[in-house]
Amino acid sequence: MAYAATRGGEEAIEQAERLYREDLAPLTAERVAEVRRTMPYLVDRVMGEASLYEPDLAALALVQTGGDLYEAVLLLRAYRTTQPRLWIAEAVRHADILTVRRISAAFKDIPGGQILGPTLDYSHRLLKVGVLDGEPDTVAPVTPSETPAPATQPALADWQREKGLIEDARAEAVPLEEIPDVTRDGLLFPAPRAHRLQTLARGDTGGMLALGYANMRGYGPTHPTVNDLRLGEAEVRLRHPRGTVFSAGRVRVSEAEMVSKASEGGKLQLGFCATFGWNEVKTIAGATLDLSMHFENDYPAASEEFVLYHTEPTEASGFCIHFKMPHYVTFQSSLDALRDANAKREAHPATAPETPETPDAPAPAPELEEMPS
Amino acid sequence: MSGNDSGAAPAAQRGRALGDARKLEILARAEPAGLKKAAEALLVSLGDVEVLASRTGLALLPREDTVTGTLFHLGEVMVAEAHVRLASGTEGYGAIVGRDLERAMAMAVIDAAIADDRAPAAIFAFLAGEDDRQAAEDAARLTRVEATRVEMEAF
Repeated sequence: MAYAATRGGEEAIEQAERLYREDLAPLTAERVAEVRRTMPYLVDRVMGEASLYEPDLAALALVQTGGDLYEAVLLLRAYRTTQPRLWIAEAVRHADILTVRRISAAFKDIPGGQILGPTLDYSHRLLKVGVLDGEPDTVAPVTPSETPAPATQPALADWQREKGLIEDARAEAVPLEEIPDVTRDGLLFPAPRAHRLQTLARGDTGGMLALGYANMRGYGPTHPTVNDLRLGEAEVRLRHPRGTVFSAGRVRVSEAEMVSKASEGGKLQLGFCATFGWNEVKTIAGATLDLSMHFENDYPAASEEFVLYHTEPTEASGFCIHFKMPHYVTFQSSLDALRDANAKREAHPATAPETPETPDAPAPAPELEEMPS
Repeated sequence: MSGNDSGAAPAAQRGRALGDARKLEILARAEPAGLKKAAEALLVSLGDVEVLASRTGLALLPREDTVTGTLFHLGEVMVAEAHVRLASGTEGYGAIVGRDLERAMAMAVIDAAIADDRAPAAIFAFLAGEDDRQAAEDAARLTRVEATRVEMEAF
């Protein structure tokens, strides 16, 4: 691929950036703080895709880019590379997570019970237009229960394992420093499960939703249901120089297990996905993809290579927008070839290649699941 | 002895009795203004404090997959770190999720004073008070979470 230099563009580039920034309000610490305070789910989404947990920086990236998510993720990913990696924290296990939401759609009587937590799941979604007319929208405070919820919840998968509903096979213990890291190792297929789950954790929410949704509608080998969906906060436990392990603070995490309605070998199959921040769509879609990729199948949206390569937000958005860069040389080459072919056809009409045949009709779509009306 | 002192003594005893990990966790989660104020008050009596490190860095956060038990990296967490040494050679260390280097330094100074056995009762009372505040904060939050518990019915 060849590129052409742009001559005399320095002044234009400077003015273009000014024009872009003129459309944004001035970048101030107050605006960043306001975004962090009022848009936690957006901040969470960017931190998850950037694979960097720091809400102030994520809010700054959002304000600086005017809310362009891919640009914000790019800024955070780039900033991350300027920071030394000083620790590998102790592994977060299910029993350690301060849980504020935990539901299952497959089992109604789950150990620990169903806790809706902060959600709009059963609420009306109506735009509060009155706010624009000066009517403030205030919400009544939560009426606390007399007793607190348990700080942590048991894993549904552990209960299913005890009941023989899922495979009892567990991964071998791995020292923290030997956990595969896709940011250092590169992605090869078939990917180690650690690479797959890490790639999903930092994956593009929209891309994962599109491919997960394709699986849910029938372009995949599974019919998934939410087995266990959790929002909570995980402790970041570091080691003091004198050896004491302590929590340096908490980070918001979300995770989902999806279960296939069809059993395999008399066992239920589960998929898993977790990410930084509270992002249910991403984890449900990601766990669906993990579940689908478990089965041998011919669906692109359930192929590990297809899924993991095409849900990387920075690579995907970067490749997409790189087509804006001058491609004059390569395109000129294509144009030359086209003109040459046309000239030959005009000169020797009898020997010119025939119009290609119409490609085979696409295979009929598989039976699809429809959205309930 | 002032009235405050008589009230603070049991709290200081409670703070002193906390385990090392718990003390560090309380400091890491302490209300920032109170933490910094407590550390500043200590600095007057601690003498020279050598700063070995004051920086931000990343902590890889591994997560265990609940389905297979596979450990994988959830991502990296920004952490502010401070490492100090007193004239006696005793070291103190602070690490707090986020970018606030002053908080990390305040934690390290208090940690050094405790490790050097030079922390006054006020520091242990501060620890006990923060322990109570943090526990109350969690309990209040969890009573609000409990209010969202549902019993699902199948019809």
